[in-house]
Amino acid sequence: MNDNLEQTILRVAEIIINELKLEDVTPETFDADLDLVDEVGIDSMDLATIALVIRDEFGIRIDEDDYPKLTTLRIIGGYIVEKRSSGE
Amino acid sequence: MKTVSSLLDPHWHDRYKRISKLNIRSSIYDVTDRCNLRCKGCFFFSSNEHQAASEEKDLSKWHAFVESEMARGVNLAILIGGEPTLCPDRIESFYRRLPTFCATNGIIKVDRNRFPDLMVGISLWGAADDEIVLRGKDTFAISSANYAGDPNAYYLYTITPKQLGKIENNIRRIKDVGLKVHMQLLSNDEGVDGFFWQPSELVAVRAEMDQMLDSYPHTVISSKYYHRIITTGAMCGRAFGWMECPSVTDALDTRQPRPKRLTNFIRWASDLKTMHRCCTSETRDCTTCKDGAAHMSWVMVNKRDHMNSSEDLQNWIEVYEMFAKLYRFIPW
Repeated sequence: MNDNLEQTILRVAEIIINELKLEDVTPETFDADLDLVDEVGIDSMDLATIALVIRDEFGIRIDEDDYPKLTTLRIIGGYIVEKRSSGE
Repeated sequence: MKTVSSLLDPHWHDRYKRISKLNIRSSIYDVTDRCNLRCKGCFFFSSNEHQAASEEKDLSKWHAFVESEMARGVNLAILIGGEPTLCPDRIESFYRRLPTFCATNGIIKVDRNRFPDLMVGISLWGAADDEIVLRGKDTFAISSANYAGDPNAYYLYTITPKQLGKIENNIRRIKDVGLKVHMQLLSNDEGVDGFFWQPSELVAVRAEMDQMLDSYPHTVISSKYYHRIITTGAMCGRAFGWMECPSVTDALDTRQPRPKRLTNFIRWASDLKTMHRCCTSETRDCTTCKDGAAHMSWVMVNKRDHMNSSEDLQNWIEVYEMFAKLYRFIPW
């Protein structure tokens, strides 16, 4: 479970870096607990873009109502792992 | 990676945190096709938007419509017209449920017993002589008597080229009746004789707007970055236009690639079915559009483009704060 979570976090970090064209950061150096809104400056449109890639890659749908609580890489990773394990 | 806290000192970071999670989702509603004025340069009539649809008269449909808008995620209703105050029952269908802003010419006073904290934006087109030319009467004499000292009302002052050098007189008389003011510019293609911005005039009006903000900081709700954006039409090295505008109706937005835009934004006609293309006239030349809300939103939706330097991010914060104040999400 933990390995799965860490791998998921790394992959989500990669997606965010690529989609938002973030500079000077790698999946390995991206702080999994950094607040994506307050610190990285991500907005709801960015989250919608990221959600589409996650849907295609992980086969899960992120409800728009859930966007406000998806504030860090670790929380997004946990959300994906949980959704996949519950078969949603 | 540049982070917000690496760019901002604690004071600015606190200001950022106050707005960063507001997640404002606005849409615009034509409340009626009718108005009690016919102003030269009003896009609603000059581009025949009042004939785009026949207004819905069944009040129960307005209530159901607002419920459906809330289900769509709208959390700010911006009511325009025609003249919304001609239809207070329709205003109430929004006001009961949502943060609501009502644009008005101020001729009819909103009943404060019925709408105690409805945010009201009163249009003003200049001094008495300008108002008489453009609107047929000096509306300020009436609107200022209706709203003097009202803490939930402010003037939306549309500046025209003929008011260069005279802006302060208008700011001062607004201050004198205890109201606040937000400045915007008349767009060139409204086709009013003699009211066409030349480049040198835009430079001059920017300087005058900046001076007003410095001289009347408790009266003028604005920011110098907004003045720069609206007078130059440029932001982060890009020019405002159709492929940049954030306030295009979502269902009609076929642009590829889609620019950063307001989430789920729609401008509805008063039949509650027809959608207008954008927040202003469909006939307007987007490259010279001066719509204030569109330019504010242009800044707001491009936050990460303002994370290159402390100054850029502070500019973004000031514009966001201005918008949030104008629509009551944070106090003056």
